[in-house]
Amino acid sequence: MATEKKMGVDRRDFLKVLGISGAAATLAGCGNTSIESGAEKVQAYVQPEDFVVPGNSVFYASTCTQCPSHCGVMGRVREGRVLKLEGNPNSTISKGKICGLGQASVQIQYNPDRLTTPMVRNGDSLVPATWDQAMTVIKQGLGKDSVISGEEIVFLTGTTSGHQKVLINNFLNNFNSNNHIAYDALSNHVGETVRENVYGYSNPVQKIKDAKLIISFGNDFLGSGLSPVYMATQYAHFRKAPRGTLVQIEPRMTLTGGNADRWYPIRPGTEGIFALGLANALVQHPEYDKAIPDEVKQALQAYDKRTVGEITGINPDAITHLVGMMWERTPTLILSGATAEGQKQGYQNAYAIELLNVILGNVGKTITAPTENPFPQMNPTNATYQALVNLNEQLSAKKVKACLIMGVNPIYTEPTFVGIAKNLKQVPLKVAMVTQLDETAELCDVVLPLLSPVEDFGTYVAEYQPEGVEIGIQQPLMEKLHPHTKSFGDVLLTLLKERDPKNYSHYPDYYSYIREAVIKSKPVFKSSMTDDDFWDSTLMNGVLHIPVKESEIKEVKINIADLPKAEKAPADVNYPFYFVPSIKADLRDGRHANLPWLQESPDPMTTVVWDSWVEINPKTAEEMQIREGDVLEVQSSMGSVTAQAYLFPGIQPNTVSIPFGQGHTSYGRYATNRGVNPFKLINPITDEKTGELALFATKVQIKKTGDNKKIVKDEGPTTLQQGRKLVVTMAADKAELSKEV
Amino acid sequence: MIIRKILFVFSLLALIVASFSINAEPFKAGGALGTQTIDGYNALGPQVEQPIEFPHYIHAKIMKINCMYCHTYARRSAVSGIPRLDKCIGCHKMIPEVRDRPRIKKLFWYWDNHLSIPWKKVHDLPDFVRFNHERHIQRFYFQDKRPVREVCGYCHGDVANMTTARRVKAISMGWCIDCHKKDHQISAVNLKTTNGPHDCWMCHK
Amino acid sequence: MSLNNLIKNWTSFRARRPYLDQYKNADYKWAMVIDLDACTGCNACTTACYAENNLPVVGKERFEKGHAMHWMRIERYWGEGESVPVDMVPDKGAQFLPMMCQQCEAAPCEVVCPVGATHHSADGLNTQVYNRCVGSRYCSANCPYKVRYFNWWQYADFAWPNPLELQLNPDVSVRSKGVMEKCTFCVQRLRESMDHAKTDGRLVRDGEVTTACAQACPTSAITFGNLANPQSQVAKVWKNQQIALEKDEQKKDENMRGYRIFEEFRTYPSVVYLERVRDLEA
Repeated sequence: MATEKKMGVDRRDFLKVLGISGAAATLAGCGNTSIESGAEKVQAYVQPEDFVVPGNSVFYASTCTQCPSHCGVMGRVREGRVLKLEGNPNSTISKGKICGLGQASVQIQYNPDRLTTPMVRNGDSLVPATWDQAMTVIKQGLGKDSVISGEEIVFLTGTTSGHQKVLINNFLNNFNSNNHIAYDALSNHVGETVRENVYGYSNPVQKIKDAKLIISFGNDFLGSGLSPVYMATQYAHFRKAPRGTLVQIEPRMTLTGGNADRWYPIRPGTEGIFALGLANALVQHPEYDKAIPDEVKQALQAYDKRTVGEITGINPDAITHLVGMMWERTPTLILSGATAEGQKQGYQNAYAIELLNVILGNVGKTITAPTENPFPQMNPTNATYQALVNLNEQLSAKKVKACLIMGVNPIYTEPTFVGIAKNLKQVPLKVAMVTQLDETAELCDVVLPLLSPVEDFGTYVAEYQPEGVEIGIQQPLMEKLHPHTKSFGDVLLTLLKERDPKNYSHYPDYYSYIREAVIKSKPVFKSSMTDDDFWDSTLMNGVLHIPVKESEIKEVKINIADLPKAEKAPADVNYPFYFVPSIKADLRDGRHANLPWLQESPDPMTTVVWDSWVEINPKTAEEMQIREGDVLEVQSSMGSVTAQAYLFPGIQPNTVSIPFGQGHTSYGRYATNRGVNPFKLINPITDEKTGELALFATKVQIKKTGDNKKIVKDEGPTTLQQGRKLVVTMAADKAELSKEV
Repeated sequence: MIIRKILFVFSLLALIVASFSINAEPFKAGGALGTQTIDGYNALGPQVEQPIEFPHYIHAKIMKINCMYCHTYARRSAVSGIPRLDKCIGCHKMIPEVRDRPRIKKLFWYWDNHLSIPWKKVHDLPDFVRFNHERHIQRFYFQDKRPVREVCGYCHGDVANMTTARRVKAISMGWCIDCHKKDHQISAVNLKTTNGPHDCWMCHK
Repeated sequence: MSLNNLIKNWTSFRARRPYLDQYKNADYKWAMVIDLDACTGCNACTTACYAENNLPVVGKERFEKGHAMHWMRIERYWGEGESVPVDMVPDKGAQFLPMMCQQCEAAPCEVVCPVGATHHSADGLNTQVYNRCVGSRYCSANCPYKVRYFNWWQYADFAWPNPLELQLNPDVSVRSKGVMEKCTFCVQRLRESMDHAKTDGRLVRDGEVTTACAQACPTSAITFGNLANPQSQVAKVWKNQQIALEKDEQKKDENMRGYRIFEEFRTYPSVVYLERVRDLEA
């Protein structure tokens, strides 16, 4: 390639020439090009598929594995490389759309810090090894003659589903074990348990589209929720004529709160009490009077407006106002979310919120039963925080002899008081399967380099199934980039084939395992195709879809013992601030911090990039004389971190927030030594009913360190439009959306 | 649907260089291969040594094979690419009488080892240029019904008289524009004329 | 636009206000509509733009200096006026604004470019020709939307450490140090579909091509299409919203939501925004 020097005229000279005659200079610019012969190679495919034409893109369907919503995606492939992901229009979940997190999958594939060879522990450090060496170490513990069984083996994962889960269970069964531990630092287990107990379904379908009024208690369904792309497509319908109204009640404004028609800041942990305040006012209306038993109604009387207002910090008039809207606008939909559920009374909060749906008669209207999956063994595992506690107990009892870890990073996400690192170190055989070294893999004895999500086969079933059941099919979008990476399935099958040749030796690889399983499912889809055609068409569609089967939510159970007490939390003199860390839709629990697109994608609410920050209400900041960029020390009883202050009006005045995701100590060049890890501040408070960690119940104190550094963000010096009419807002009663095309 | 052998190497970094060089390579009036000097842009490129000395003259001239039989992508894609290896083998399997020739032996060596032939690029446009083979072939071969050797020959010269291809045109922007300025008959039957597009973003990416 | 053409018709390549039915007989006039009531500010579009257009990730230090290269960005505002009280509660949510090159018909950037590197194409795009650009940055200074981005660095040298460069889109140049760049309405996609359509002897159909941002957008807030085709969705919305390309002040019913940003500057942008709606009674 010609460089500026080689051209003889450098840019500065060129500008001078330009001064004399712009037009003549342009002539040179449009002149001859640096055509080269024989410098580059041009090679052809040896025996390509007929549809592969150089220069034309080919799209392959697959399934996104970046979050448990498992959208159907399409990969654009040119000359054997995947360049970009788009949504797969065949998918009932993604509907042809895709989020930023999903698009960044390709950066897992091409990450410069990918693990490309196995690593084996040698003393204090991990050293590169061959697969033979790595497998030899593994087989010493888990090989043909291994007698490890039952609780001696642990398979630790995040949320898994489909054949990934099936194979893990088969693998463990081979060791007479069912010790598959699914841990999710940001688990939504509290809400799921409540909905399971109330409706009989942990994830009933929430029909946003059909609601005229949504009241969401911290449910960030547009950002970090259970199925953000699907919910966003439904939100678009919700906003069309006749336009629905969204009310968001939460301590710290989420992306969904940023899109609400009305946003109420609430004191963290009191969401359920506010919900009961609404319920109490609601049952005064004769129409809703009948909906619930008298004992519940009596119990509700304790939640009068004044008390509720005092506890929650919301003006009592808001209750009258909201109840008025609920009476007028039906159907409604009440949602509970992470900040309401991640509390000491999280279960009770979610219970109170679902009670509103029952009183309002939303069950069967905006809340319906999901379609049953004919392949229940493929349903996602219920990943919890409690799983980590169980694991830690097993580890500290020193029973575990082998631990396999995939898709989770407990060393990074565990709160300081769990202390799993120490216990994990004592396990004789620790195997991590990763695409990139992280904090947990660094502790292991063997680290195996996995294929990236765009190189592997798999099947996935999303937790949230809004329209029938969708089984997402993952297929490689390109040949593997690094020759010494392998599919997790192939690793397990290698071990299984040695231990149980009768049942597994006929699978040459994970591909054949999945292929056989998919073909076996053919009768369910009543397909008359040949096996090969069925497999090919399944791969082409990217999804197997079981249509919606209407079933009713039969019984709704309400138990007054499960309602939150109308008590005000005692003030804490040492730690006066509530600490409500935020979940960023892209970095989530930190597993995506290694992807540069996401690091540089500004946080939607604050526009900060590449760092951690402390959100503090401008009013509080004024009282404490804190300016933007002031370095603050945030301290809980568990530890302290320092980060720059960002003045954020969308937060309760006595609450501060730090986003999850940063503060890695080992996760490649884009994530390491960047920002702080708020998991390390979390206090040992758990939800009383489920034992789940109350992520948003920590109290902290903040101190100025005296330093001030410019905060790196995308927004300019003003956060106001200054009368420039950039974003114009129209009142809903004035807009005539039905007249629009 | 698994992607089988993918061996197409592409200039990965589509680095643009703002090129202001007056003389990247000196023009040579007239082509060594007897092409006519009608446009003043004839510029013979270097003879590039290829892994197999492919005889275009045998295929195109003696056997009278249509260019597009092998260069099948040219009418369907922006890039013409290089014919897939199984295309060569498809015919040569059936021609045992030439099987012992050194060039054919080499060809089968690549085939047997399932390797792609590392051809060198002769007409290498800068990476900031979007040239579309499909449109030119569709316009002048299918629409105007001109002889295929003439259509390809506008840019690639009289390849039928070459062994391995050698560049005979400047392939510079001025040369492109020269042709785009000319009046081209709309089709074989329609005598009305049009010019090629002149918009920067038509060819610059 | 050849050189002779440029010299001969110098003035015509300078900003010129569009006139009625300017694109009536044209094949294409690319335009966009962004519904701010549907936009949630989720950043799916901006990431799609990075993937499609080979935008470099510049890193924290360069971002701090304002060297970010996001052709499309989401601006977030807390109020419409000049000031808000310190205890303001954003009880109507935030105001999100996807902002990228507005492909103005009378673009302020075009008139100040000393080398004609940015000019108007026949299909109504505000083009940026990297090979011509000499980096005077006058265009950026004159752009009221601040959507032009300058290459302060030779990003190709470090922004895609191996093998990240394998992701680069071969249909889009990687820009070198010293040139200006901006949103192109995904011109590489437009040209590809126009070429295919031409081979088939027709015009590009509505919905056949769209920009990367519009394709990704989970709420379908972005509509892209050919304004010269009255049957296209984008033309229907422009008409329905009573927005005329050639006017600098729209006379429309007050309950229609369409508007163009900074119309009073007479830039005649090709992007119509639909007002955000808020239920003020909520």
